[in-house]
Amino acid sequence: MDKLNGETVSILLFFVGLYGVVSRRNIIKSVISIIVMETAIILFFLTIHFQEGSVPPIGENLSGAVADPLPQALMITTIVIGIAITAVALVMANSVYHKYGTSNWRELMIKRREDDHD
Amino acid sequence: MIDVTLYLLIPVITGTVLYLSNSHHVRRLALLVHFGLFAAAVQGFVYVKTHGAFVTSLGQWGAQVGIYMRVDMLSMTLLMLTAFMFAMMLLYEYNSTHTNQLYLFLFMVLQALVSAIFLSNDLFNIFVLIEVATITVAILIMFKQDRQSVYDGIVYMLVNIVAMNLFLFGVAFMYRTFGVLDMHAIGSKMHQIQNPVALIIPYSLMITAVALKSAIMPLFSWLPKAHGTPSAPSAVSAILSGLYVKTGVYLFVRINAMFAGTLDTWQFFLMVGFITAVIGFLLAISQKDIKLILAYHTISQIGLIMVGLNYPTDYAFWGGVYHILNHAFFKSTLFLGAGIVIDVYGTRNIWEIKGVFRKMPAVALASIMAVLGITGAPFFNGSISKYLIQSGTSGSVVEWGILLINLGTIISFIKYSTIFFGSSPADCQSRSQVDPWKKLSLLVMGAMCLIGGIWGQELIGLLFDQVMTIGVMTQLEKSVTYAITLVAGFVIYKQFVLKTNLFYKLSLFELDFNGICLSLTGFMVAMMVWLRVFVV
Repeated sequence: MDKLNGETVSILLFFVGLYGVVSRRNIIKSVISIIVMETAIILFFLTIHFQEGSVPPIGENLSGAVADPLPQALMITTIVIGIAITAVALVMANSVYHKYGTSNWRELMIKRREDDHD
Repeated sequence: MIDVTLYLLIPVITGTVLYLSNSHHVRRLALLVHFGLFAAAVQGFVYVKTHGAFVTSLGQWGAQVGIYMRVDMLSMTLLMLTAFMFAMMLLYEYNSTHTNQLYLFLFMVLQALVSAIFLSNDLFNIFVLIEVATITVAILIMFKQDRQSVYDGIVYMLVNIVAMNLFLFGVAFMYRTFGVLDMHAIGSKMHQIQNPVALIIPYSLMITAVALKSAIMPLFSWLPKAHGTPSAPSAVSAILSGLYVKTGVYLFVRINAMFAGTLDTWQFFLMVGFITAVIGFLLAISQKDIKLILAYHTISQIGLIMVGLNYPTDYAFWGGVYHILNHAFFKSTLFLGAGIVIDVYGTRNIWEIKGVFRKMPAVALASIMAVLGITGAPFFNGSISKYLIQSGTSGSVVEWGILLINLGTIISFIKYSTIFFGSSPADCQSRSQVDPWKKLSLLVMGAMCLIGGIWGQELIGLLFDQVMTIGVMTQLEKSVTYAITLVAGFVIYKQFVLKTNLFYKLSLFELDFNGICLSLTGFMVAMMVWLRVFVV
């Protein structure tokens, strides 16, 4: 079971998300796939420098291995950005659906092209 | 000592003040602040030129721990360009009626973000800045919320976010390998890497994202829609096409410098750049919407810049960098001019617009200067950068490629120039009044094309510390080449482009969101395969 650690899982999850954006034609599913990719990155960051038994980097005179605090700080930022992006993307998806009456990328492209030729 | 954080804070503060009050006094003040900011950027440049590159730590942490801003000649030059462009855009929008508070606020925030991307030296910081800039730009694109721009905005935003996810994943691999996020620190540790195969995955992930940002082949499908969307304010189109797309090119230079000596991919990007330039002008010729012609043409010019940046001679590299500046001037002039033309004529169809020169002489004059610049006419800025790229690549097959790209540029701008001549339709014969502020900013930007050409040699020496000599004989020789290309372009346009149906079919070529994501994945895989087979 050594192979089944955070890194391999997150790499797999990332490509699941990438498969989602490539193959799913629904806008909402695309947004979900993007969130899956982001979650994979967060998992990857949190596991890369993980050491068993390391202590939190708080206080003075720490003994033993100290956990790397940087990934956590970075990932909080990523989560916040992810929320903002999801919110904006969903609002936009909603407005696209209202304007075009479909949430399928292919149909949207065709309707958008018809707009141009009017 | 220059406090670089001020370059980022002042636009945000100005934007906030404008958001609170949009009276004429505040606008005048904002305009003054922006010209002051440009002056400050010039002062910063002088400082860097005399004292050399310096770093600023945000939050007073030590080296390689805190977030660092690294200021050198290249980033300072681009910062000056940013300050200048945004000052000009504000001048252009000074009297506009559609500029409400939200628009100006977002615009100023975008300025701060673009400046920060040019100054930042921390990979994660760059990721954050680009994500925020993506949202800002998407809102600016769909600012008027009509049918077309809503679609263009969502495709732009989601595609760029997928790309930035790839970038962040690449950054994660870099952090795992190096333990730092500072680009300069990573660059200095690069030689310690025993096995470069480990760097293939992070490099491919990051460079794919940057390639999408700079819209090179085959990752450009989002660009024409985003930059040429009908209802976006023309200042937004001008900034996106002139300046914002250059952040991708800039990051491309920085990331490649970081990996220099370990992973060198110049052959790959030379090829891709050339293909981008050719496809870009073919698609530009096939459009009939004047904004889309300009947007597709940006792709072609990015291809040319890529050719210059990736050819391993100094002349070609600095020619490419100089072309980044030149392209900012002429493309934004063209977009602003096109915006005024569209407002007056009420159509974007190139065949329905005639006689701009008679109707709006100032707009036409500025646009023609920009056209001369972009086609590389003698004494205009495009000729200098194209000449440098060409002489840097002389003796190789690339030189002929550049002649071909220039021929394509000329053909597409012969098509574009048809709007200036002829007589206007009967219902709008008379001269139309153009806002003097818009005229002023257009003419200044147009004049920059001429200034950049006449003092090209001096400017390159000043901005990049490079001595490039362009003799009188070569000027003459260039003029002859230009004239021959112009005639050839004219003949091809009349005899071939107007008669064939091929370009109509080309104009229907388009990828949807899934298609763009697929090409993104394909580009990444191709990059990995190339690195594994030819480089490592």
